[in-house]
Amino acid sequence: MNIQSLAARTGDRIAGSLAYGVIGLGLAFLAIPLVITCVMAFDARTYLGPMPPPALSLHWFERLVSQADILTSLRTSLILAVFTTVLSVTIGTAAAVGLARGNFPGKAALTSAFLSPLIVPPVVIGFGLLLFLSKAGITNGMARLLLGHVIVTLPYCIRTSLASLLGSDQRLTEAAMVLGATERQAFWTITLPLMRTGVVTGAIFAFAISMDDVSISLFLSDPSATTLPVTLVSNMRAAFDLTIAAAAVVLIAVTALLIVVLDRVVGFDTVVGQGLFRS
Amino acid sequence: MTKVRRQPVAISIPDRRDAALTLGPALLVFAFGFLSPLINLAIESLKEFTPGRVGSVENAAATVQNYYELANQAFASVLLTTFWIGGVAAIIGQLVAFPLAYFIVRRISPRMRTLTLGFLITLVLSSVLIKTYAIELTFGSVGIFRPFLLTLGLSPNSREYINIVVIAGLVHSIIPVATLTLIGAMQSIDPRLLDAAQSLGAPGWKAHLSITLPLSFPALISSTLVSLTFAISAFVIPMVLGRGRVLFMSNVIYTRFSDIANYPSGAAISLVMLAVALAVVAVITFAQARRVSR
Repeated sequence: MNIQSLAARTGDRIAGSLAYGVIGLGLAFLAIPLVITCVMAFDARTYLGPMPPPALSLHWFERLVSQADILTSLRTSLILAVFTTVLSVTIGTAAAVGLARGNFPGKAALTSAFLSPLIVPPVVIGFGLLLFLSKAGITNGMARLLLGHVIVTLPYCIRTSLASLLGSDQRLTEAAMVLGATERQAFWTITLPLMRTGVVTGAIFAFAISMDDVSISLFLSDPSATTLPVTLVSNMRAAFDLTIAAAAVVLIAVTALLIVVLDRVVGFDTVVGQGLFRS
Repeated sequence: MTKVRRQPVAISIPDRRDAALTLGPALLVFAFGFLSPLINLAIESLKEFTPGRVGSVENAAATVQNYYELANQAFASVLLTTFWIGGVAAIIGQLVAFPLAYFIVRRISPRMRTLTLGFLITLVLSSVLIKTYAIELTFGSVGIFRPFLLTLGLSPNSREYINIVVIAGLVHSIIPVATLTLIGAMQSIDPRLLDAAQSLGAPGWKAHLSITLPLSFPALISSTLVSLTFAISAFVIPMVLGRGRVLFMSNVIYTRFSDIANYPSGAAISLVMLAVALAVVAVITFAQARRVSR
């Protein structure tokens, strides 16, 4: 064995362990904070003490569900997320069909216009909506929040539906119509089922984004309608205790559930392959 | 393989009514909920500030005062903070995401791959709030990383300590997204190129340096810029982790709104932020266009 190949092998070993070190550290950095949060949520102490907790208890969860403002805002968030999802998916799917099938000038421009809320910082959207809706005289908190959430989730729904529509075979719909189906029948029995993956992915994204949003909701919330994340942020700024850790555990569980659904219905590779992640 | 036809010939929307039916609702939402507020924001930013009301006074004098006021030391330092903290976070994110993406694409069993992807997608979809809180719990007053940072000689109330925690918060969100972005590009690199380089005598690290890196370079650039866009429009992370001492542009907009109710000034900052975001996106688009044309 000559010196050159020995040097190359040493170089490889160093580079390899460096890469694995970075990967290990990176994954640990991603996982450890979440693990700590989950463990601390079961801390039996009544104050915020160092890791690890000496004993475990569910009392932070009890405190969480005994807080009226958290329960009210959780209800608001859930209702809002459901309405946002239904509206975004309906409007987005229709728009995707229109964009895919329509034959009109400026189609590409319209598509990118519909996706443009993705590149505008959420705070700017929230602040802009606040000013505009106040001027327009729309003061109902729920209505404001709904509009804000639909604006930011709609691009995802349009994008995922459009992707699955363009990816599916157009000729199947044509075949149905050649065989005598009306346009409406062909749409409901062929086109829409073919779009299923895109519609479901869009719905999951819309629901998750609506449940999590802070930047827009903080501007549009009012005492009559406050979302869970907004309540949690103000709690976090007022007193940093472990009820938020308990809330985090619940939210992580909900997200994990959504992820399992996403994997079962769509499959991760589809999601990654389409590259539909913005931020 | 070319698609036979993109425009369906047999079926197309027969009349304007169907187009209005499918595209109408989205257009309505877009115009009312997005376009009008942005235009209003632009108008508002040119209005004179009158304390104590939502929005400017009707027929307020047009002025560029709100923009002029931004050209001061304080706002310049906010802009600088946003960019350098965001930039550092974006780069650290790529340094981890790049090897991680390669590892997921080439070095892992299908089962582990699903597990790792599931973990990353869970991170992308889970609330910024949870991640921010988790970082605070980890690096904060009782966090297990606190002694580590203290041994580095950082006082917990120093600006450096807070900067590091904010960067950690941003990196935590950037790594999963950047990894998922880079996976796509790595999948399209032919692994045989690497084998060829190595069988011709190149050591592994050199083969990666001359094949994997250049071939995924355009994706790396756009992933960096996407991470940067994310970082400079971040709101919750600097707000909670920055403890009021690290301010990003979005935090200043919120302060203008919540503390002093200076809406015209908030609108002016919003437009500056919008311009910055659009500029970064323009660079991304340019980079991608070059990638396609090559």
